[in-house]
Amino acid sequence: MIGYVPGRSPLHRAHPYTTLALAGAILLGAFALTGPLAVWLLVLAAAAFAAVGGVLRASLRTALVLSLPIWVLLFVLHGLLGAEPRIVLGPVALSAAGVARALVLGGRVTAIVLGFLAALATASPHALVEAMTADGVPFGRTFLLASTLTVLPRMRERAVQILEAQQCRGLRLGGSPVARLRALGPLVLPLVLGALAEVDEQVLALDARGAAGAARRTALAPPNDSAGQRVLRWTLLVLVAAAYAWKFRSMRG
Amino acid sequence: MRPLSLRDLVLVRLGVAVNLVIGQIVAALLLPVYLDSVGTILVAALVGPRAAITAGLVSQILNAVISGNFSWLPFALVQVVIALYASAAARLGLFRRLATAVPAGLGMGLVAASCSAPISYFLFGGVTAGGVTVVTTVLRALGAPLGVAVASASFATDLLDKAIACALVTVLLRSLPRTMAARFPALAR
Repeated sequence: MIGYVPGRSPLHRAHPYTTLALAGAILLGAFALTGPLAVWLLVLAAAAFAAVGGVLRASLRTALVLSLPIWVLLFVLHGLLGAEPRIVLGPVALSAAGVARALVLGGRVTAIVLGFLAALATASPHALVEAMTADGVPFGRTFLLASTLTVLPRMRERAVQILEAQQCRGLRLGGSPVARLRALGPLVLPLVLGALAEVDEQVLALDARGAAGAARRTALAPPNDSAGQRVLRWTLLVLVAAAYAWKFRSMRG
Repeated sequence: MRPLSLRDLVLVRLGVAVNLVIGQIVAALLLPVYLDSVGTILVAALVGPRAAITAGLVSQILNAVISGNFSWLPFALVQVVIALYASAAARLGLFRRLATAVPAGLGMGLVAASCSAPISYFLFGGVTAGGVTVVTTVLRALGAPLGVAVASASFATDLLDKAIACALVTVLLRSLPRTMAARFPALAR
């Protein structure tokens, strides 16, 4: 599960900036914390965040699938190939320091992925665009975030069509690395040149819709914000700043 | 500084889409590269540094949104560096010929790896997605210290990746019909 899941949880009702601020604080906090206990408390905080949004089970499952390859590589690179001394666990001898490092690094990735999956599942993209419009964010930024996601499936579809068409004309995808590298041109060139040829048409269409105007747009249904949520967002900022101040102070000490 | 025009924004969107979709073609060809900065380099050559930086940053964010893995967001810094380098290379006319584009790409690979290796080492202990980590693990198993293994893997993959990306952008720019190329003043510089 990656994407918005409709619901009526407190996170679904919250202003999207608040949800994203919580996920952002988990991201920044994960890189500020260096001890295994602190990082795993952050993983628990991310799980609590997902639970408040009513998306814990789905988010946790996806987060585990996404972070599992990283966990495996961490345990090979740091646990098996790490420095002495070693702890024997059944048939394998693992580096004690390496395992501790792998727990921090893996916990960091898990917390970030879980936090953002929960945010994506509970912050409606439509509400985010409305909130940005209500805040007077220039059209360009909202356009880029909202419209690129809609363009991608079309571009992917076109890439598949070009791939199939070139294969029909005799293009071979296998062979030596040099032969495969040569095949890159016939596949990428039509895709990009075709998209470039449509640029002017798209500019005209957007211009006709008033996209180039500098006037502030009116949001149709801006999400509700509250003093409590604004205080929460500022508090998160202060907490993240404090975590980094503590980290750099302990590094100097 | 003037804001990005509507035309620049449409080109940025195209660059982002190219960055995200080209992986599909690379995967079909089983090439050991990512080429996830071709769109950024193309926008740098067609429009300029601000649009290229925007394309790079938006690509990184949308890639995280699509894949669900937001851990790699710190690598957005590498996209910014690539955008600045590509803009400078385009201004110097290095994307006009393959003979200059490939060395420019190797230089870009050096600069990009110099940024990505410390991020990979300090923030993720050398474990990032894909083949780079496999190379790191092999080098580590052969006895290389972790820092050396991470740096070597980053440099090896980035040099190849960026040299191919710059060559591909050069071929693209040279394939532009004159009428279309004339619409991009940055190309004429």
